[in-house]
Amino acid sequence: MSRAWVRLGYFLRTSLAGLRTSPVTTAVSVATIGVSLVLVGAFALLLANMEELLGRFGDDLQVTAYLEDGLAPEQIQELVRIAHTVEGVQGARIVSKQEALERFRTGVGRGSALLEGLGENPLPASIELTLAPEHRSAAGMARVVGSLQGLSGVRELASGQDWVEGYLRALALLRGIGWGLGLILALATLLIVANTIRLAVFARRDELEILALVGASRAFVNGPFLLEGVLQGALAGALALGLLYALFRLVLPGFEFGLELLLGGVAPRFFAPQEMAALLAGGAALGLVGSAAALAGGGRA
Amino acid sequence: MSAGGTRGRGWPWRRAAASAAPLPRAPADGAIQIYHVSKSYSAGNFALRDVSLRFGKGEFVFLTGPSGAGKTTLLRLLFAAEQPSEGQIVVLGRNIARLRPSAIPALRRRVGVVFQDFKLLERRTVEENVALALEVVGTPRREARAKVFAVLKQLGLQHRRYHHPLSLSGGEQQRVALARALVNEPEILLADEPTGNLDPTLTLEIMDLIASAATRGTTVIVATHELEIVRRYGKRAVRLEAGCVTEDSLTGRVHA
Repeated sequence: MSRAWVRLGYFLRTSLAGLRTSPVTTAVSVATIGVSLVLVGAFALLLANMEELLGRFGDDLQVTAYLEDGLAPEQIQELVRIAHTVEGVQGARIVSKQEALERFRTGVGRGSALLEGLGENPLPASIELTLAPEHRSAAGMARVVGSLQGLSGVRELASGQDWVEGYLRALALLRGIGWGLGLILALATLLIVANTIRLAVFARRDELEILALVGASRAFVNGPFLLEGVLQGALAGALALGLLYALFRLVLPGFEFGLELLLGGVAPRFFAPQEMAALLAGGAALGLVGSAAALAGGGRA
Repeated sequence: MSAGGTRGRGWPWRRAAASAAPLPRAPADGAIQIYHVSKSYSAGNFALRDVSLRFGKGEFVFLTGPSGAGKTTLLRLLFAAEQPSEGQIVVLGRNIARLRPSAIPALRRRVGVVFQDFKLLERRTVEENVALALEVVGTPRREARAKVFAVLKQLGLQHRRYHHPLSLSGGEQQRVALARALVNEPEILLADEPTGNLDPTLTLEIMDLIASAATRGTTVIVATHELEIVRRYGKRAVRLEAGCVTEDSLTGRVHA
């Protein structure tokens, strides 16, 4: 057995003993880090799901050119030809007045009886333009709309551009709030961890004095405290993951309507394995930095 | 290597030119050399004043003197718990005044220290207390247990190895502290009033154990104010008063 293993074994034994000797302080510290991670994790989960929706929604992004009434089929074909020359346009499909009416009928269901009194079909014919994948964005749509604007025979151009831009703005805002919240919680958590470790150093000052006396290096004295911080953080990370999963499974279904509004019917997903690992690592890193701060701040006996 | 006659690694490895005065040559077997050392904690208030001493390898020395004479300060300087205000101290070839903090642990692993108040960890067993000195140097557990058992047996404590310090008598606690100091086979053993808390019978028991370390080649320095012990062992005695050496039985010098 190499000396490094012996040392690691000592660090582990000592830090576990440290966690056991002050269970209340440890529990408070773990719970605090855990709550912070739950809040940040919940935000991250929401953002991840919203970004996912944006990605999926992009597949359906299209630009619709509503046509003036009375265009000859050749004129419509000419518009389709022009549309195909615009950068980013992948396909074009003509929707006749009749087809538009059928779609409307299907769309409104039983209310279609209302249409009976209309007489003449009020819906315009249109050309639906699908975008190449790399152009499925607000900017891509804006470019296509800009190229087709003002063409003779085109009455109006419609796209999901405004909606996408609004969604992106909301996403950016949430991301900003998430970062701000994360930063504040990280700072608060660091203070709590640092305080816990400082208390641990104080509780073991006799031992540290003796360790120094028998020739323990600084790394040997500090190692168990750093590991104690890491263990607290990782434990809190696991706790946070468990809580988040419970919330995801048990509480989320109760908010179906709100979810539908936010995610547009996309089934919400939980963290991927690497995201869970990142949350655990984040907790451990918080613990490590907190205890390092405690030791650097004169916590050493 | 010129001044100081230091061995192998260490002093004066660097900044030798900055040394104020060349150090006198020490004996080849010198474990500790102290040159004109003073220590003051506040201006004009000296705990030690111009102390020069030399202790050889395997030598057994008593530091005597009344309370506040500077015995503890001198011992603390020897295991680098403090730095001298003036002068040079060379311990096992390392100049304490120039020792980087990161080099202190390595020196302390070669120096065992015993205190009047034992300094044992109450929550740990006797075996764990002694093993602490081996853990810091990364001794594998099985090897450490064997070494701890051997030293406890030598000190007559093997049957107490799973006990906690508070369940032991004062003499037994001091023997545990001594076991911790000796388990690494130190080249120097420093004892600060090791029998201060013990009755006369236990005092002799502990002193015999400390003296036996010197016979195995360890330099032993015992600070005590109990003159009876000093007379009984008939070893070299250095007397300190008000921070100054007033008597050294080796040289026969008596200072004013």
